[in-house]
Amino acid sequence: MATMITTPPASQDQKPEFRAPRYRRPLGVGRDQLTMGGVLAVLAILVLAPVVPTLWQSVVDRPLYEDGGVLTLEGYRALFTDSGFGEVIRNTLIFASLTTALSIMIAVPMAVVVVRTRLPGGRMVALAMQWPFFISSLILGFGWILMYGPAGFVSTQVEQLFGTVPWNLYSIPGMAVTEAVALAPIAYVFCANALRQSDASLESAAQVCGAGPARILFQVVVPMLRPPVVYSSILIFSMSVETLSVPLLYGQPVNISVFSTFLYKNGLQAVDPDYTVLGAASVVILLVTISLVALQAKLLKDSARFVSVRGKATRPRKLELGWVKWVSVAFIAFYVVFGALIPILGLVFRSFTLIFTPLRNPFDFLTMDNYATVFQFESYRQSIINSLVVAGVGSVLVSALAVMAVMVARRSTFRFGRLVEYLALIPQSVPGIIIGIGFFWAFAFAPFGAGTLLQGTLGALVIAFGLRALPSAFGSVAPSIMQIGAELDNAARVSGADWLMTFFRVLRVLITPAFAGALVLTFVIMLKEYSPAVFLSSADSNILGTTMLELWAQGRTGSVAALATVQIAITAAFVALAGLLMKGKHHA
Amino acid sequence: MPELVVKNLKKQFGDNTVLHDNTFTIKDGEFFTLLGPSGCGKSTTLNCIAGLERPTGGSITVDGTTFVDQERGTFLPPEERNLGMVFQSYALWPHMTIAKNLALPLDIRKVGKARQKELIHDALDKVGLADLSDRYPHQLSGGQQQRVALARALVYSPTMLLLDEPLSNLDAKLREQARAWLKRLQEELGITTVYVTHDQDEALALSDRIAVMSGGRMLQVADPHAVYERPATPEVAAFVGRCNFFQGKVEESSGARHTIRLDANDGVVVVEADLETSPGQGITVAIRPERLEVVPAGAETPGANRLDTEVLTSSYVGSHYEYDVRLGNQVVQVESQRPGLAGRVQLVFEAGSALLYAEKVALSQEERDLLTVS
Repeated sequence: MATMITTPPASQDQKPEFRAPRYRRPLGVGRDQLTMGGVLAVLAILVLAPVVPTLWQSVVDRPLYEDGGVLTLEGYRALFTDSGFGEVIRNTLIFASLTTALSIMIAVPMAVVVVRTRLPGGRMVALAMQWPFFISSLILGFGWILMYGPAGFVSTQVEQLFGTVPWNLYSIPGMAVTEAVALAPIAYVFCANALRQSDASLESAAQVCGAGPARILFQVVVPMLRPPVVYSSILIFSMSVETLSVPLLYGQPVNISVFSTFLYKNGLQAVDPDYTVLGAASVVILLVTISLVALQAKLLKDSARFVSVRGKATRPRKLELGWVKWVSVAFIAFYVVFGALIPILGLVFRSFTLIFTPLRNPFDFLTMDNYATVFQFESYRQSIINSLVVAGVGSVLVSALAVMAVMVARRSTFRFGRLVEYLALIPQSVPGIIIGIGFFWAFAFAPFGAGTLLQGTLGALVIAFGLRALPSAFGSVAPSIMQIGAELDNAARVSGADWLMTFFRVLRVLITPAFAGALVLTFVIMLKEYSPAVFLSSADSNILGTTMLELWAQGRTGSVAALATVQIAITAAFVALAGLLMKGKHHA
Repeated sequence: MPELVVKNLKKQFGDNTVLHDNTFTIKDGEFFTLLGPSGCGKSTTLNCIAGLERPTGGSITVDGTTFVDQERGTFLPPEERNLGMVFQSYALWPHMTIAKNLALPLDIRKVGKARQKELIHDALDKVGLADLSDRYPHQLSGGQQQRVALARALVYSPTMLLLDEPLSNLDAKLREQARAWLKRLQEELGITTVYVTHDQDEALALSDRIAVMSGGRMLQVADPHAVYERPATPEVAAFVGRCNFFQGKVEESSGARHTIRLDANDGVVVVEADLETSPGQGITVAIRPERLEVVPAGAETPGANRLDTEVLTSSYVGSHYEYDVRLGNQVVQVESQRPGLAGRVQLVFEAGSALLYAEKVALSQEERDLLTVS
């Protein structure tokens, strides 16, 4: 340090060699402002495109694409008087409440036991709870019907043994159980994270005061779970309000309608759909989901005050439970094996056999025919390729948009930064099927024939699926970008780079891992997605989900099983490959 | 030549005003320090100069170039201000080598590759790191990173250098050495420098002038000597160095001599200070611990003021002793070379050693508790 300064002060009296760079700003708007404004405009168009036509349609007396529409409230009147919508609301409420309650009942004990007690195979469980990331609820629904449905493998077996089947899958409780199995991991993740973050010394304090393991669990650990339980309850409730898969598969045969299937039935299956009533129903459902998400956002903001996070990570001490732990292990194993493993493996097995019933040995009918069918028929093969194209192109576009949105919302002085963030997160509260209906109307409504250009193409699916995946992409990118110190940007700005150049010259490389992470996440989400497609797909733009639904309706279970297996395989291969690539990059 | 003129600089976040109409001028070649506790507005002021934050009101001009003028609605973005800045975290771009870090601002200014090489070498040479240009930032020690950050801020000969607590991440020993080095470098380059710190020693040692800030206001702008010897307010006296405060009432005042009765023990002291007072007025007497002397009771020591006290605690801190003595119900801190005093002692100080303020000193509840004895 002290050996410094050897150069004489030569440059002192010279005229400065460089001037500050100048950036052109015609009319006071530079390229920075243009980019930020552009991001805002793209997001605003994306979000408003499906919502505004829906609102408009709900108060116009004929389809948007017909001329001479007259303003009317008839749609809302009809909806609440003679469309059976009251029954639908009741069903939805029961279904969503039951699903929420069951999910919490599965998730909370599991989180407590796995995180806070010594449990054999605890890490395995934590890993196993990620399964819904790979498997869509549509596929889970297929698997459950194959196993536990009225003619299912397990049901038949039980009937043979006991003479009767004590459950009925095609009922609201049946739907709720399946949905709860699929959504419980969400509540589990929230509770487990809260438990890991909470201060272990709280428990030590209780122990020093003389409390035993059971008392510590019930008087210290469980009460601390209130915020994550409340938060994940609302999340699960709003997700079950909007879900299509299980209610569609289980409810259709026995005429149980919830919000999403009501829209599905009235929009797609009616001979002459009343678009005004459909619009009114969409608006009502939208109001419900948006208020749920708003409530959830508000609670999350407040709940930050409850979380007892300390700077120093204290390793949670694990409690010894004795015999109770074997009960817990049995409970968890039951959930994983009967909830996920048997239905999924059954579905995969079904794809390799002709007949699937305990009455005949399925191994006698092993075959590759199901796959042959799927790969031989042009339209089935095309739907696999379509899914890959939509997920591939869409994930790149959405991740890029999410990165730009985070940059504008969190890393710029743009005056509408907050608005950009809200716009990127709003689609979270719009049910997939309404996004489908909304874009369907938007394309019919769009000026300059832009709509007809997109209508029924893969482009339409990329846009709709992309909008669905945007909040997840934003949520995955934002924390990674926020971890990069703002002083790095400031240093670049002061030394002469404008906002765009700062992004391209300094931040781009640092953001790459966040971008890759968002890419993997959105690829998987978009590969599983299908609900907006039921309104947007044409014969040429079917994707895995819509094709499976079609085949299922035709009773071609073998082909459905084969396609489902293909989808699971693609997801697993993609995630494995991405994991390998990113790992390699870390070492380099 | 670059002279920075700041007028009525104001910054508000909603209802919260973090800067209150500050006006000051920084002269060419001056080392100007913004000193204050965290949250006093010093970093906000620096960021306004850099252009990283936009003030709510006021103007900043350098040499006739308007950086920002809220009245006229002009704002020059940071990239067009041609300033050099060193950040607390150094903010070296982690994915670029040292040479690349320095090359980026030159690239932006469209400097030819050959000239870039010379300039980068010169700049790194200035900070003594010319041989490390191919390393990555994480391969360097904290002190080296700090010097690279300085080289990066200087390589394009900016009009002004802004330093945001650049030494605070170094460990104590290194910090002192780096301080002396920085001072030499700045004097040699003669570059106008604005320095932000909460460390009073740093501010006193480095600066030509110091602006002491608190609660978004500039309490005093003066050279280090004046800030320490003649603090403008009790707050400045308390923040720069340590200080004992006594509340009292003026008994009599003739010219610069004031006779004051202290509330703490009802004793009478004489203080010389330029302050208009009138008998009966409440007043604050401030004395730094090193201007007080403690002598054993009964010793004959010259001094205008003598107060009878009692030693509460004595601690040895190496270069001197520190005594806490009791004056009535108040604790008084004294620095002394005299070892081993205990029991009854006398507190002695000259009339000219104390400072006089008309305003009352607002102590926090915690400070009051710690400085009160029953």
